[in-house]
Amino acid sequence: MSAIFESVHYIYPSKVHALRGVSLEFRPGELVALMGENGSGKTTLLKHINGLLKPVKGRVIVEGIDTRTASVAQLSQVAGLVFQNAEEMFFESNVFDEVAFALRNFGYSEEVVRKRVEWALKFFELDTYSSQSPFLLSGGEKKRLAMAIILAWSPRIICLDEPTIGQDSLQKEKMKHMIKMLNTQGRTVLLATHDVEFVAELRPRVILLSKGEVVADGKCEEILTDETLVKKASILMPQLVYAFKRLEDLGFDSRVLDVDEGVRQVLKVLRHESV
Amino acid sequence: MSLFEGLRFRPGTTFIHRLDPRVKLATSTMVLITAVIHIDIVIILFLLMLESLVILSAKVQNLWIKTIRGALPLVAIVFAITFFSQYSREPVISTGLGYALTYSLRLLVFLSSFSLFFLTTTPDEIALTLQQLRVPYEYTFAFVSAIRFTPVMAEELQIVLDAQRARGLEVDKGPFTKRIRNLIPVLVPLLVNVIRRSYELAEAMEVKCFGASRKRTSLKQLNMSRKDIFFLVVVLILFSVGVSVKLLGLEPVKTLPLLGQFFPA
Repeated sequence: MSAIFESVHYIYPSKVHALRGVSLEFRPGELVALMGENGSGKTTLLKHINGLLKPVKGRVIVEGIDTRTASVAQLSQVAGLVFQNAEEMFFESNVFDEVAFALRNFGYSEEVVRKRVEWALKFFELDTYSSQSPFLLSGGEKKRLAMAIILAWSPRIICLDEPTIGQDSLQKEKMKHMIKMLNTQGRTVLLATHDVEFVAELRPRVILLSKGEVVADGKCEEILTDETLVKKASILMPQLVYAFKRLEDLGFDSRVLDVDEGVRQVLKVLRHESV
Repeated sequence: MSLFEGLRFRPGTTFIHRLDPRVKLATSTMVLITAVIHIDIVIILFLLMLESLVILSAKVQNLWIKTIRGALPLVAIVFAITFFSQYSREPVISTGLGYALTYSLRLLVFLSSFSLFFLTTTPDEIALTLQQLRVPYEYTFAFVSAIRFTPVMAEELQIVLDAQRARGLEVDKGPFTKRIRNLIPVLVPLLVNVIRRSYELAEAMEVKCFGASRKRTSLKQLNMSRKDIFFLVVVLILFSVGVSVKLLGLEPVKTLPLLGQFFPA
């Protein structure tokens, strides 16, 4: 298992009970979306994976390591977390050094640092900005740089907190493509997001959280098309699902998450009627 | 981070909370002046004891303890610097320790007096106080905004710290110089965010016609009650006694002579 949560409870110093007995298992190479309203515990859950937060009750095992016994630096090597506003954490004078920072902290030789930084920048199409200031990049480029920073040391688990916030549709498309590539490389990718359309296109395993508890865990097409579950987690269903729900009386299946599938259904009905 | 806790107002209904903010500010200033003019440990301890009583009556002792706990590294630095500078002038351990202790306690007096003021006074009351002291509104606004944003900054500092720790940064490991260098990845993003936020705030204020009217009016006016005047008179008497003791050279004891028994010259 990549990560195991065993009856995890977490209470912030402000007395907010953010996680209430969460038990979950994340398998290697899995793509998982954590969804739920603001304050449902998505970010808190992700922060437990690299040890930034330690459970007050229960335990979290990441790649066989009990997070209570390891430092954040140790856990970060196996589980990289891209923060929601990671682009606000830049401080180096150029993109290369920004990516190299963590690798140097982890003690890699300069030769390895150079190779890994070049590879990560290329993967995220940022290699032409290597000597440029990270502050001068566009919003989408900054987001990709934040991901390149984490990918540079090849953690087996990659956690992305709200990766699509503030991104235009083109950047979202690139982001989707890169997440898929990371996942096909065998990495476990965990996303905390509100973006149902983005999730619907990725088709991950979906975990719905509400008030620090898991309210649903299963296939994307089963959960995001279930009106009751989605309401419980205070999110919306994808627009296509709403449209096809209205057409259910005409024989359409409402469990439609992508446009191609929707078009296929419409064509099927139209052909059937024209015959 | 807990040092900033002492700058955040907490609602309350105690006598101290209800005191006129001008009286509270005057009291804090007088405590500060008394602590500055005296280096006598007995007087400093007396001030600290008086402050503790006021803190207890304002029921903010838990937050005050948090503030003091947050300030302990700063107190330790003051202790070390005072001890070594005094010891280099006069190589007597007991005198050095006496001075170091006095200066550290004096810092606690400063922190406590202003922490008490900020914990029990709303930002609006602070703004009114400054306005009535004829401080231009632009400066009042800047000062009150700084206080309001302190908890936000503390939260932001924690987020930046977490993000850099996730990149393998270990702020509290390694020799002293490395630890100082390790603060750069935390302080640079924080500074950039502060500048960005200040621009955003300035734009938001411009949009809301900040400074359009030369003569500002206030919904609330500060009025001193009998209780306020009584409290101020008591503080003024104590302050006069403190100043007189200094002027007449009646300080009970400069450092701690008893320490000499344990650390003979």
